[in-house]
Amino acid sequence: MSDRPDPIRDGLARGWKVYGGRHPGARPLPRELSCDVAIVGSGAGAGITAELMAKAGLDVVLIEEGPLKSSSDFRQLEREAYPALYQDSAARKTADQAVTILQGRCVGGSTTVNWTSSFRTPDETLAWWQRHYGLSEYGAEDLSPWFLQAERRLGIGPWLAPPNENNDLLRRGAAKLGIAAAAIQRNVKGCWNLGSCGLGCPTNAKQSMLVTTIPAALDRGARLLVEMRAQAFEHRGGRISALECIAVEPDGTPIDDATLRIEARHYVVAGGAINSPALLLRSGLPDPHGHLGTRTFLHPVVISAAAFDQRVAGWSGAPQTIYSDHFLGVDAIDGPIGYKLEAPPLHPLIFATTTSGFGLEQARLMKLFPHMHALLALLRDGFHPQSPGGTVTLKRDGSPKLDYPLTDFVMDGARRALLAMAEIQFAAGAREVLPGHERGRSLRSWSEAQEVIGALPMKPLLTRVVSAHVMGGCGMAGSEMLGVVRPDGRHWQVENLSVHDGSIFPTSIGANPQLSIYGIVNRLATRLAERLSGRAVQLA
Amino acid sequence: MVAAAGRVSRRSLLRGGLGAAGLLLLGGSAAWLWRPGLAGGRLTTTGRAVFLAVAQAVLEGCLPTEPAARARALDAHARHLDETLAALPAAVRSELGLLLGLLSVAAGRRWLTGLQVDWTEADVPAVQAALDRMRADDDPLRLQAYHALRDLNNAAFFAQPEQWSLLGYPGPTPV
Repeated sequence: MSDRPDPIRDGLARGWKVYGGRHPGARPLPRELSCDVAIVGSGAGAGITAELMAKAGLDVVLIEEGPLKSSSDFRQLEREAYPALYQDSAARKTADQAVTILQGRCVGGSTTVNWTSSFRTPDETLAWWQRHYGLSEYGAEDLSPWFLQAERRLGIGPWLAPPNENNDLLRRGAAKLGIAAAAIQRNVKGCWNLGSCGLGCPTNAKQSMLVTTIPAALDRGARLLVEMRAQAFEHRGGRISALECIAVEPDGTPIDDATLRIEARHYVVAGGAINSPALLLRSGLPDPHGHLGTRTFLHPVVISAAAFDQRVAGWSGAPQTIYSDHFLGVDAIDGPIGYKLEAPPLHPLIFATTTSGFGLEQARLMKLFPHMHALLALLRDGFHPQSPGGTVTLKRDGSPKLDYPLTDFVMDGARRALLAMAEIQFAAGAREVLPGHERGRSLRSWSEAQEVIGALPMKPLLTRVVSAHVMGGCGMAGSEMLGVVRPDGRHWQVENLSVHDGSIFPTSIGANPQLSIYGIVNRLATRLAERLSGRAVQLA
Repeated sequence: MVAAAGRVSRRSLLRGGLGAAGLLLLGGSAAWLWRPGLAGGRLTTTGRAVFLAVAQAVLEGCLPTEPAARARALDAHARHLDETLAALPAAVRSELGLLLGLLSVAAGRRWLTGLQVDWTEADVPAVQAALDRMRADDDPLRLQAYHALRDLNNAAFFAQPEQWSLLGYPGPTPV
């Protein structure tokens, strides 16, 4: 256990109203609750919403399916963090198993485990939404003050320490090729530069929802239910009358008879893409135009590892501090799919399960671990007819299933990305490059890489594809013909229901989405809080 | 990433042939051999045999070669596999149990992996050849099974601090 201060344990000791779960001081679950605002989830959208609602004097209840864990629990160990903090032990899968999805499942949601990369929504993404989805108030200037507030509230700013070698290799390799790369802003205060952001920040430096907005809401009297699944809404005549919940075991198994009914004036769904549309589907809410669950985006990611003569120690130091958007600008946004480049942190388990192959060759590469570097390419999906994203439907047990076809259009981008990453890595001095593909092999030169990667069959399951950004499924639009929710986040057909998370994005973002959620939800929740309470509030 | 890194969906199994070919394979004299691969969230004897045979193929070069040390390492690995599996959602464990059940029957094993001898008798080169066949196959079912077996073994093994010296990884920085 860390000796550092733990603001969550302190808050619990002060009497925070946290019900359910197995954390120290857990309160027993009630059978019924009523409140002004019931918020499903506790991640980026839920956290921002909760703080603003509580500031407006509204009675708030948050419902989180995952556990309450905090810095005392965060021991920087993959074997503990993935089962405790991520959906499906950090191995949520698409229906055909071809994409592994990293998504948080704990108080704070993905913000508790993300790698701190903070980008405002790119201007060209917003312009696309305005042009194609009738979101006229979504210009970069309209949103700028809302982003600014979120940045202030969450300590988002330049990272002044030098990049670690893993990131600096991206900077140096790109520079040699004349490719622009820049520094990534981060949401941290007093960061120790440990490199364990993905395992829960042990020093509370990361300004996740877990240590910012959720404690602020709890200090104002909000109630938090943990290890509690939002099962379905009761509704009639275009209004929600109640939310049915059930307690779950750590592995997600429902606990018989541990049900809870919540009545609220307004309901905010912020369980994250995949889970939010699934809740609406389970509830049988109106969906007259068939949009619910569709256009779910992943930023499909392909990975290129490389070995260097020098020590890289990719586990150490802030992850993802350098990026390149060069390949997002080569073609038009609706042309061949573009991609963003970043350098992810490397830890033994994630490295061993993301690379390819086995046996003596795997052993050789694992023993080079301190010399390994990796780049990832995040493909910007959702801007072309051949990149319509995936569709969330329900399994027989009511849990969500995401069918995401990796089309030839998307996989063409994956091949170009593997080539571009290999070229940058060789330019940075790589001794060998390993494309994330089951039929790839150790490549010793850029010319060999061109030949081998150029001939790889870019098929699902052969190509290693992962995702850490799930978006869409409850798309926002200026017309009910085009989306599930209105531009202000309210459901088009249900009057006392809003959606406040990444599931409202009508396309992918084209950048790590946390700040897009913070900024956009800041505006949605500020206005909703004013409407419900009659009081003006500000996040910062 | 991954504990459950690979899992095989019931739908995929059905689509891939368990529904028709699988029933045929398991019919008659083979059906009584069916054993679940997981029980109570833990590997059964048959499930463990499949995983440990694959482990020795996947982790070649990382496991001790001296017989007693190797046996101890495999025992520990089996415990770590159980811990890894226990953390998965029940639905995923059930899908994995189905896969292991299929692999534990000779006809299923031969059909899915091409491995001619039982897991407990197969040497490392034979299991590696089977894994190579699975990942060279265009059938999604074989690729899914390959990823499940490979990734779960890697996840359970490389997450353990006792393996980190092999990697030159010092472990987390103390705070």
